[in-house]
Amino acid sequence: MDFSFTEEQEMLRTLARDFLSKECPKARIRELEESDEGYDPETWKKMAELGWMGLVFPEEYGGSEGEFMDLIVLLEEMGYNILPGPFFSTVILCGLPIRDFGTEQQKKEFAPKIAKGEMIMALALTEPDARYDASGIKLQAVSKNGNYILNGTKLFVHDAHVANYLLVATRTSEGKNPEEGVTLFLVNAKSPGISYTVLKTIASDNQCEVTFNGVKIPRTGMLGKLNQGWKIIERVLERAAVAECALMVGGSQAVLDMSNSYAKERVQFGRPIGSFQVIQHKLVDMMTSVDGTRNLTYEAAWKINGGLPCALEASMAKARVNEAYQRVCIDGMIVHATIGFTWDHDMGLYFRRAKAAEIAFGDADFHRERVAQELGL
Amino acid sequence: MDLRFGEKEEELRKEIREFVKKELPPDWFGLMLEEEMFYSSTICKKLAEKGWLTMSWPKEYGGKDASIWEQVVYDEEVAYWGIPGSMMGVSGTAWNGPSLLVLGNEEQKKKYLPLISSGEPDGVWCTLYSEPNAGSDFASIQTRATREGDEYVINGQKIWTSAAHVARWGWLAARTDPNAPKKHQGISLFIVDMKSSGITIRPLLNIGGEHIFNEVFFDNVRIPVSNLVGEENKGWYELMTSLAEERGAAGKFVMGIKRILDELINYAKEEKKDNKPLAKDPLIRQKLANIAIEIEIAKLLNYRLAWEIDNNILSPNTASEVKLITDEMMEHTAITGMQMLGPYSQLKQDSKWTKLRGSVESLYLMFLGLRNAMGTDEVQKNIMAQFGLGLPRGY
Repeated sequence: MDFSFTEEQEMLRTLARDFLSKECPKARIRELEESDEGYDPETWKKMAELGWMGLVFPEEYGGSEGEFMDLIVLLEEMGYNILPGPFFSTVILCGLPIRDFGTEQQKKEFAPKIAKGEMIMALALTEPDARYDASGIKLQAVSKNGNYILNGTKLFVHDAHVANYLLVATRTSEGKNPEEGVTLFLVNAKSPGISYTVLKTIASDNQCEVTFNGVKIPRTGMLGKLNQGWKIIERVLERAAVAECALMVGGSQAVLDMSNSYAKERVQFGRPIGSFQVIQHKLVDMMTSVDGTRNLTYEAAWKINGGLPCALEASMAKARVNEAYQRVCIDGMIVHATIGFTWDHDMGLYFRRAKAAEIAFGDADFHRERVAQELGL
Repeated sequence: MDLRFGEKEEELRKEIREFVKKELPPDWFGLMLEEEMFYSSTICKKLAEKGWLTMSWPKEYGGKDASIWEQVVYDEEVAYWGIPGSMMGVSGTAWNGPSLLVLGNEEQKKKYLPLISSGEPDGVWCTLYSEPNAGSDFASIQTRATREGDEYVINGQKIWTSAAHVARWGWLAARTDPNAPKKHQGISLFIVDMKSSGITIRPLLNIGGEHIFNEVFFDNVRIPVSNLVGEENKGWYELMTSLAEERGAAGKFVMGIKRILDELINYAKEEKKDNKPLAKDPLIRQKLANIAIEIEIAKLLNYRLAWEIDNNILSPNTASEVKLITDEMMEHTAITGMQMLGPYSQLKQDSKWTKLRGSVESLYLMFLGLRNAMGTDEVQKNIMAQFGLGLPRGY
């Protein structure tokens, strides 16, 4: 048994930490929250040059043949520092399924562009029902003269407004159960009939409403097989849940570090508040929670990395990390007291993102139910 | 990263499961720290014959030079199946032996370690730390050890001494220099023959009415100078090296709780409420899932602790984190289990109506005791804040 990362992964971690802290200071994050794009194209370009977007693509498609665990290292640092932008949407939600399920043609078309930072993508999955199961997919795709015509609304789609292409989950037939009849399409984001509204959200994280009004897609845009798209989505969701956990674990470590530093600096009653046991025990609880959930995340990620079944571990991780990150944020806020509650303080950046991250790809109740199923209940 | 056990460890797991099938009654379900778990002459002997009792110790002292991962697998199986006596008292195999390996001289190691490894009643140990006025403030112990010629004379009282009544040997902390400038200085460690004259053991029944711990009185108990472990007056600092072993020992309980979870899952599938299996109740599903997650976290932290020890990169927090997480997980399992069993949860083990062999009721009566064993969680947190988070001492 071995909990260590490879030397390359440790280097990637150090590099990512340095790069992100320089490239993306908190003041810049605040600016980006207010901007229309929600990300910094300059930083995006540099990330591509560092090879981050092509990290897990095969060499022939411009990638560096990395593994899922490399992404976890990177995401932990992106969560620690906070990196606004479409990395998660492009690489985790769309790049991975194209790599794993795309035709040769599709891989050739998309992967090299993603790797070069020339292709931003977004996954259009959830709808006004706002659920992560197959019955939530209702957007109609109807076959007509060798094309498909899409009609319907997607909601809570991250980064759709800046995407070049969308990966859209559609309903192509009504099967015996909701899992049948789901089909995925790669859709040019600028196709006629698509419109975007960026939603104002707690984390200012560029979630969009995307409406499809008679949008015409060629048959070749289909990812995977007709009516069998749910299997792909399941896999995307499993990976996304674990990847999101890595972001959250990174974020909770940052909140712990900030709170611990503050407890050492802030003096009341003539001594640092960190000398009071009531504060100390809170910080210890935070640390224990962060360390515990980090292992849980690594376990699920390691299983994905090795191609092992991981439904149980992925849901265990997401269920627990959801609640742990929120708790760590609340406790961190309590340590900071009112200063943490101000708009200009960094605590808020994490506190608001923790809620968005918790909701993404299933909340704690949703994943605990999955754990129960996996336990044979 | 590779979170799998090796082939050798999986082989061992299989072998232990065969042993359980052969040596324990078919429906056996023992819980760690129940009275009968301290020592079981027949099982201990058989575990010793297999070389399992102290497998990670060096061969010359009765061990097998087994890897830490084989030890972890053995601990898991022992806890899951509830194999009695694996600790040789409350602490012989878990930390008195390992501490002696680090702190003891050659003569002591040769004399005491093989006794533990043998599984004989003379290899059973207890640990004599706490006193009526020195619990969390352990450095304030007052039990005196006074040098007289070739002997130390012990006077004083210890309390909460688990298994003292079945132990042949005691691992004792006593004050050798009452005038030391700091209370941490002037403490020494000793091995005490629990059959010495002048020792009185008085049972203290715990909340469940079980005889687990004791008061131990020392009235001019004479022990040879050769029973001093390490250096005189350095006991506190020597102890700090062995306490991580002790705290990490909380991890040995994890799979015992996993067993209770598995039993609760079976119970939920079989038991009906309003004509539906309990397992279909969404609230029960959520709660059991929660416990499963907490057990997984404790299990992984315990693996991580082993990995850190194995690679000499022990963080100051990991052992304490194992204890905190394990304690919390036990509490939640006990509470949820009791809720699930409803009125049946009240029944003692020997009632014909008892569910799950009374294991849940047992856990409910034990988890608060375990929380305090090896230092309360609150003291752990003080230590972690100071040494793990670098905060100013708060007490």
